[in-house]
Amino acid sequence: MLDTMNEMNDSAFATTVPRARREGPAVARRVPVFFTALGGRRAWLELAYALVALPVGIGGFVFTVVTVSVSGGMVAVALVGIPTLAATGLASRWLGYHWRLAANSWLGWAIDAPEPFRGDPGFLGWIRSCLADGTAWRSRLYFVLKLPLGIASFVTATVLYAIGAWGLTYWFWYRWLPCRADSEGVHCQRNTGLWNGAHLDSVPTMLLLVLIGIVALLIAPWAVRAILALDRLAMQALLGPSSASRVAELEHSRAHAVDDAAATLRRIERDLHDGTQARLVALAMNIGLAKEKIAEGTAESAGSTGSDDAARTDALTLLDRAHATAKDAIAEVRDLARGIHPPVLDAGLDVALGTLAAHSAVPVRVHTAIDPRPTPSIETIAYFCAAELMTNIAKHSHAGHGTVDVRTVGDRLRLQVADDGVGGASMRAGGGLAGLRERIRTVDGRLTVDSPPGGPTTITVELPLAAESTPRQDPQPADRGSVDRGPVA
Amino acid sequence: MRIMIAEDSAILRDGLAYLLADRGHTVTAAVATGDELRAAVAADPPDICVIDIRMPPTFTDEGLRAALALQRSHPAVALLVFSQYVETRYATELLANPGGGVGYLLKDRVADVREFVEALERVAGGGTALDPEVVTQLLGASRRRDELAMLTPRETEVLAALAEGLSNAGIAAQLVVTERAVEKHIANIFAKLGLAASETENRRVMAALRYLQG
Repeated sequence: MLDTMNEMNDSAFATTVPRARREGPAVARRVPVFFTALGGRRAWLELAYALVALPVGIGGFVFTVVTVSVSGGMVAVALVGIPTLAATGLASRWLGYHWRLAANSWLGWAIDAPEPFRGDPGFLGWIRSCLADGTAWRSRLYFVLKLPLGIASFVTATVLYAIGAWGLTYWFWYRWLPCRADSEGVHCQRNTGLWNGAHLDSVPTMLLLVLIGIVALLIAPWAVRAILALDRLAMQALLGPSSASRVAELEHSRAHAVDDAAATLRRIERDLHDGTQARLVALAMNIGLAKEKIAEGTAESAGSTGSDDAARTDALTLLDRAHATAKDAIAEVRDLARGIHPPVLDAGLDVALGTLAAHSAVPVRVHTAIDPRPTPSIETIAYFCAAELMTNIAKHSHAGHGTVDVRTVGDRLRLQVADDGVGGASMRAGGGLAGLRERIRTVDGRLTVDSPPGGPTTITVELPLAAESTPRQDPQPADRGSVDRGPVA
Repeated sequence: MRIMIAEDSAILRDGLAYLLADRGHTVTAAVATGDELRAAVAADPPDICVIDIRMPPTFTDEGLRAALALQRSHPAVALLVFSQYVETRYATELLANPGGGVGYLLKDRVADVREFVEALERVAGGGTALDPEVVTQLLGASRRRDELAMLTPRETEVLAALAEGLSNAGIAAQLVVTERAVEKHIANIFAKLGLAASETENRRVMAALRYLQG
């Protein structure tokens, strides 16, 4: 609730912020949004929605209560009740679906659709899935709640806007009110009398009424909006997707993001390799050739004028420098590309880890038993975990030997990096291990550290075989190596 | 020498062809994929092929697979494999099948024209040319570190140079010692590693490498 209100205020202020920025802070002529809400289109759409909410609430409430109780009553009488309950549940679902669409387009809300209805085969299956459909029951609950919500929004809107209109205009039309005897039964009073016998006809009263009208009109859009925020919460919870399907949705999109990032990195690496790197090599090669040619020329024309020689020597020195720079650039681009996506990973995690271990300053033995092969993004995460952990061994452990063990255990990939060093590794905030854990968590992996002071240290990383724990039912062809790992066309 | 080039980057392919022609060699074909290379070699076997490891369509180890296939189908053709990266696995696969000359160099080495052409000629002559980085990695990856640890630092240097494919004279020049000293170091290395010294340079290198691969 609070969040929604904040969000509302944020979005309301958002419209004024750019203007303030444009005019600069010196021009403080910004009208607070509180006073301008009434003029906006949004306030009128919300008023209309608040008014319509009452009939919808009454209709929905009556429909729900009647269908549930009538079907419930019929269950006792005949077996017609259960199918009726099922069918009306589906009807509630349908109503909820369309009312949500209406609210979305009416008020600009963005409440997602609930998961679609899936009926089991056969009449009984269909009945059963109707009765078990959470969305149908949530829709019913929404329409029951919609009645108090509808009453609240309708009453709030009518009362506040009516007071506003009445107070603002009373001074003008009160003189045409029907004639009314005053307390003494003498004069004809054309005004509104109060419960205590006072009359609303003096100038200060008129001014007070105008003031009350203005205040009511200023408050009205915000009061309506606050009640609609409640409606929105109810709709989000009851007409939107259930939290289980929301989690599945998020998992799916997160897995997509992880895979997409891995593919993008791989493409960048390839672009560096095939574009930049190839050009640099060609450049260095040509400089090398030019150097050779000048050197040969110098050897042949030995004994020519001194100034020619000096110029040649200068040129050679410059070429030497250019040559060295080009070669440095090649090495740098190579390291950069390897850090982005080690190309040897394409040949498999076992091959890549073997190469990694060969680079390690501390002798590391690698054992692998990987079958089936994880997806590329998981392989990348496992590879960089192993690289980081091996670096840690070399930097901190004072170990004599390390081991890396990677194997598939059930539907998980387990990476275990151990050393016989001094131990005492821990997960400090901002430390390397904490960073690893964050990376692993993007795919619901786990990192456990076992490192008592004095050693030995064993760090275990568990990853799913695919970024998405419940993979799509795509057939996996035998040559998926070339399918998954082929070039990004 | 008759040379074939398989390299997918046009700028590098043309550059290599120009460089080799300039050094007096004949480039019989310059192709962009492993399949084209195999077809070209089958049609007209050259003395040596210069092959980029990463080529279309998969951009992974196309060139290496083409090289391994050529080792079997055309053992007489020398192979110089080129890569942007040094990967231990690739080197061991190439060396596991000692036929004719084999080389595995980082692409950077093209920049030093003279050394590159020398390595090429060595491989074409049935010798070996390994990038110093490859040798370092093979030494690092060796499963017999304990035995290698018995070597003196100087002997390790000599072993590395020897694995690169250098002759005794080459090693002597690189380490700035006499050839006589190099011979003595090599004898010590073989003794410590329990290898019988043999007369040809290539077998010597291969023996050392196979030992390093464990």
